[in-house]
Amino acid sequence: MKQLLLSLALRLRTSKRYKKSKDSVRDLFHNPKNPYKKYLDLTIIFLIVTSVAILIYEVKHPVPQWLDNYDIYFVFFVFSIEYILRLWVHNDLSEFITEEFHESQFLPRKFDPWKALKEGLKEKLQYMMTPAAIIDLLAIFPAYRALRVLRIFVLFRVLKLLRYTKSINQFVEVISNKKFELLTLLFFLIFIVMIAGIVLYVLEESINPNIESLFDAVYWALITMSTVGYGDIAPVTAEGKTISMFIIISGIAMISFATSVIVSAFSERLVELKENRIIEQINKNKSFLIVCGYGQMAKMFFKQNKDQLDNYIILDKSEEMVTEARKDGYNAIHEDASRYSTLNKFNVEHSKITILCLTSSDVENIYITLNAKSISRKIKVIARVNDINIISKFEYAGADHLLMPNRVVNTMVHTAITQPTMYKAVHAILTGKSIARIDEIHVHEFHSIVGKSIQELDFKSKKLLFMGIEREGEFIFSPDPSEKIKSYDILLVMGRQISLDYFNSLYSGHH
Amino acid sequence: MVLKNILLFGYGKHGKPLAKGLVEDGFSVVVVESDKSFYKQAKEDGFKDAVYADVTKDEVLKALNPQEYVKLVCVMDDEHLNVFLTLSLHSLFKESYILAIADSIHATKKLKMAGATKVVDLYEVSANKIYNIIKRPVATKLLEKFIVDKDGINFQEMIIPKNSFLLGLMTDDIDFSPYGVLLVGMIDENLGHAFIFITAGINHELSAGDTIVCIGPNDKLQAFEEEIKKKESKV
Repeated sequence: MKQLLLSLALRLRTSKRYKKSKDSVRDLFHNPKNPYKKYLDLTIIFLIVTSVAILIYEVKHPVPQWLDNYDIYFVFFVFSIEYILRLWVHNDLSEFITEEFHESQFLPRKFDPWKALKEGLKEKLQYMMTPAAIIDLLAIFPAYRALRVLRIFVLFRVLKLLRYTKSINQFVEVISNKKFELLTLLFFLIFIVMIAGIVLYVLEESINPNIESLFDAVYWALITMSTVGYGDIAPVTAEGKTISMFIIISGIAMISFATSVIVSAFSERLVELKENRIIEQINKNKSFLIVCGYGQMAKMFFKQNKDQLDNYIILDKSEEMVTEARKDGYNAIHEDASRYSTLNKFNVEHSKITILCLTSSDVENIYITLNAKSISRKIKVIARVNDINIISKFEYAGADHLLMPNRVVNTMVHTAITQPTMYKAVHAILTGKSIARIDEIHVHEFHSIVGKSIQELDFKSKKLLFMGIEREGEFIFSPDPSEKIKSYDILLVMGRQISLDYFNSLYSGHH
Repeated sequence: MVLKNILLFGYGKHGKPLAKGLVEDGFSVVVVESDKSFYKQAKEDGFKDAVYADVTKDEVLKALNPQEYVKLVCVMDDEHLNVFLTLSLHSLFKESYILAIADSIHATKKLKMAGATKVVDLYEVSANKIYNIIKRPVATKLLEKFIVDKDGINFQEMIIPKNSFLLGLMTDDIDFSPYGVLLVGMIDENLGHAFIFITAGINHELSAGDTIVCIGPNDKLQAFEEEIKKKESKV
């Protein structure tokens, strides 16, 4: 039996497929960046909403059989599967057993898989005792219709929404930050209600016909204190009325105190919540730009390219700069891009991220570059280099493109002096302001121009100047007109935007 | 050549590399500095004519004879001094071509107002470059190579000489590919010295004195420049 357990555990432990499927399920449940999590969440929310709707409808109308079946079997089935999967991915039993095995081999000790198994199961049991897991379990039950009171358990399904809706989660999180204050308040409230209730019970039980038990008196105290005051029970003696006045005043004080605690909890976290929202929004995009530092360079960059930029976010260490960026109408958050936790918030796995390091400090820029590259090699980094002497350091850090403002300007001035006409051309092409621009046509595998010769494409009639092909990293300048276009070529052409658009519309189709 | 002399104000972070590049391209450069250490640096780097002077004084500027230089380049590290210098130069020598670098975001306008003929805005060109790197990485890299790499593919401007076989040709009919170069655009003296891209869709007749801008490998460009001086083309 022991041997069987061990071999099973070892096999599971070494099976790549098992590990992969478990990891993907775990990711689906727990990683908010997983692109499929959205669909899982929506499905569960749909099931919850429909089953609650059926519960309400059922009160007055007969429900068709298929709907009943859906509620009893399908929802039950899905929720059970979900519960079991969550329990499954919580920890690895096989890990406990194999570890115990290795330990017993290491120390000359008797191999005891049951102890290890017990520990693993204990952990699972601990998970089952968490509020979230209990709610999940209770949400499965309403399928059992024999007991009518079990129907109310459908409402536990509503509690399940907590897990699947972000804003409620955040609300709970914010409130739980003020646990101490709120608990103190609650304790105080219970104390006063009990005291006032007992006093009224003692004073008026025999006189007041509405008070029959201690429960009635406590109920009255709470209703009065909360300033609701139904009026079904009211004090009749002068002593009772005096107590009423006291607890009404303390009630008002307590309500305003509770309100202020909750409000302050939110205002403390409001900025953070807002920023998290911005990050979540940007993470939904397939590709986006992170601009680090809102200095003069970034300002100019945004001023010029305001309309062409869709998905971007500005990070700046200085609160002042962030405020300024927001005033200028850009998405900015107050974060330090050189910190691991900051960049790790972004959807590194599923999005194409380009980071622009534009701070005026080289040290800062290198640090951000290293930080980004340490999180994922896939992140593209464009870094600003102020001191030309330390270019090699940026290259070591792994920056993909370097921007050297001083060198760019130097080249421009140099060109302006040595070749004034060319300066105009280069400047016009570089700024893209004028009627001509150099653009790239990226030929994908199934692009309809694959296999066509340059002559056939006849760039001239489309008012485009064909400059050359970049093929496998090599640039072929003005190739022979009989040269045929291959997949993954990058064609370099010059011309007006409308000519480019026209060309693209002609050949955008597939074979 | 007399035409290739430059008066360079400033030998700081912009001036130093610029002076070096210009000398390499065969320009004679005279450096003017008002900062002692930069002045010494210029002397050490071989600019024997370097002048150490207070550029805020008009008589100092006059003594430099700026009107004898083709271009005055203002690249002082001190932004305020640079604007002041541009203003002084412009008021003293209205005819001179003044080229200035704007090192902060609002300086371009001030320099233009002060009378600079051309202003290169550090932030503007850099910001454009960022955009180009993001949207057109290959083209940007190549374009950079065109400018920096002196042996590879390059742009070149050439003036059409009298008696060239090009005279009378229409731009739409031109195909320079047999020569291994491409025509990018031209400057038409009749149309007010404006640069016209070949792709702008304006069909234009070439005449003597027009400047054409071509792109191609350097050796082909040189050969082509010789070729257009001829009456008849061999190709």
